[in-house]
Amino acid sequence: MGDLFRTIINAISIMAIPLLLFVFLGWGIIKKVRVYEVFVEGAKDGFSTAVRIIPYLVAMLCAIGIFRASGALELLTSVLAPVTNLIGMPSETLPMAFMRPLSGSGSLGIMTELMKVHGPDSFIGVLASTMYGSSETTFYVLAIYFGSVQVKNTRHAVPAGLIADVFGMLGAVLICRILFGV
Amino acid sequence: MLNYIWISLIAIGILVAVGNDVRDEAQNTYRNGVPFEASIVIQKSPTPLRQTWEGDLVLTAEAFNSFYGITSATSEVRQPVVISVAPSGELSIAMPIGPATPDRWKDMAKAAANREKLTGVVQSIAVAGDQQTARVRIVLEPIRFVKMKAVTQAALDYASTAVTIALGLIGIMALWLGVMKVAEEAGLLRIVTRMLTPVTKRLFPDIPTDHPAIAAMIMNMAANMLGLSNAATPMGLKAMEELNKLNPKVGTATNSMITFLVINTGGLILIPATAIAVRASAGSANPGIIIGTSIFGAACATVAGVIAAKLLQRLPRYRRDFEPEPGKEASNG
Repeated sequence: MGDLFRTIINAISIMAIPLLLFVFLGWGIIKKVRVYEVFVEGAKDGFSTAVRIIPYLVAMLCAIGIFRASGALELLTSVLAPVTNLIGMPSETLPMAFMRPLSGSGSLGIMTELMKVHGPDSFIGVLASTMYGSSETTFYVLAIYFGSVQVKNTRHAVPAGLIADVFGMLGAVLICRILFGV
Repeated sequence: MLNYIWISLIAIGILVAVGNDVRDEAQNTYRNGVPFEASIVIQKSPTPLRQTWEGDLVLTAEAFNSFYGITSATSEVRQPVVISVAPSGELSIAMPIGPATPDRWKDMAKAAANREKLTGVVQSIAVAGDQQTARVRIVLEPIRFVKMKAVTQAALDYASTAVTIALGLIGIMALWLGVMKVAEEAGLLRIVTRMLTPVTKRLFPDIPTDHPAIAAMIMNMAANMLGLSNAATPMGLKAMEELNKLNPKVGTATNSMITFLVINTGGLILIPATAIAVRASAGSANPGIIIGTSIFGAACATVAGVIAAKLLQRLPRYRRDFEPEPGKEASNG
């Protein structure tokens, strides 16, 4: 059942892009759109959008880089470990929970490290990889999405995004405890 | 709020770095000026032309751990070294950083004068009779301000990483923006949109149901779920651009933008391919076991995020941003 689901989704993922290109452009031809010219017209914006993001991304990534390099994460982990132990979340996975919204490569590194130390099929290994899959890099998405339209006043985006992250992490702990509980 | 989080990341980072460096200095974590003894397995002895010894520095894990007061070294240290003799007769040692280097020394090298190697002074060397081994007494170069140097390096590195990431987006952005433009002109996006109107009407009540923003958002979410991040990001940015066309106050995020963003950060993905790949390479018996748990976690995140966004947007402080109120600056949050 699980394998079938996986095979189907994998197949869709592999075919999606070629199929999308074919259908979209083919539909354009049928509707008598001058596909090449319109494509180029649309593609022009690629450069300016990417360049517009740069200042937002620099601001965000530098702050995250400084935070990561300082060792603040270790400090935070040791302070909060007693709290998370109460909900059955091993303190080893705390850095993962903090890093996930901040940095994709950072959380990937932590996940890999946890699996190396504890084994991929240990509770910690399963929980860490579930946490990795349970959320996106909130601050990165925030920087590029809002950066592309020059939004500076983000209003409630950060609190809502962080609430989503917290619930994602709690959900991961809950489901892993139910299914693979220790 | 982003202002505060941003400045907190930087301020906490710098303060913790200073604190760590002061602590390291007080405890002499890196044993600056303290000699230690080790054996050298000599591979090349000095010749009249070349006044250097080359070989491996050998130190037991216990000796290494007790010298630095740590527990991290688990196997015997075998570090390639070069000992050279200065014309004055002074001996110096250089340890190039490589895969065999213990983590502590790797960390120290990051703050050393030359990041590629650790250097030091050899206080004494006693070569055994067979010219195969030697006992040495070494003082390594003083290592200071490890975290401050790391913070500096990180700030510079990440600034260029940001540009690399943004520039890397140009090509795929152009590709997908072009395709989307064709689909838009062909009226295809309207068809996609119409099918999901019942859902999108509830999520984004401010957006007209056949607006191109809706189509871009639907495609972005579909691409995200399939794990096609290369296609998802350009479509997401396209969606933001369309949403911004409906924004009465450019520079301020609208409710729809935030709801859309939260759905994205929830990261609902049907096959978490990266995590599965890492599990497989770590030798997991069942790498795919996390598919179900990840979907559950991401669903929790997405649902909680959307509910939070919908509730928060009703708060007076966030509603105020869109009320015409001259003379009062919208608070950046």
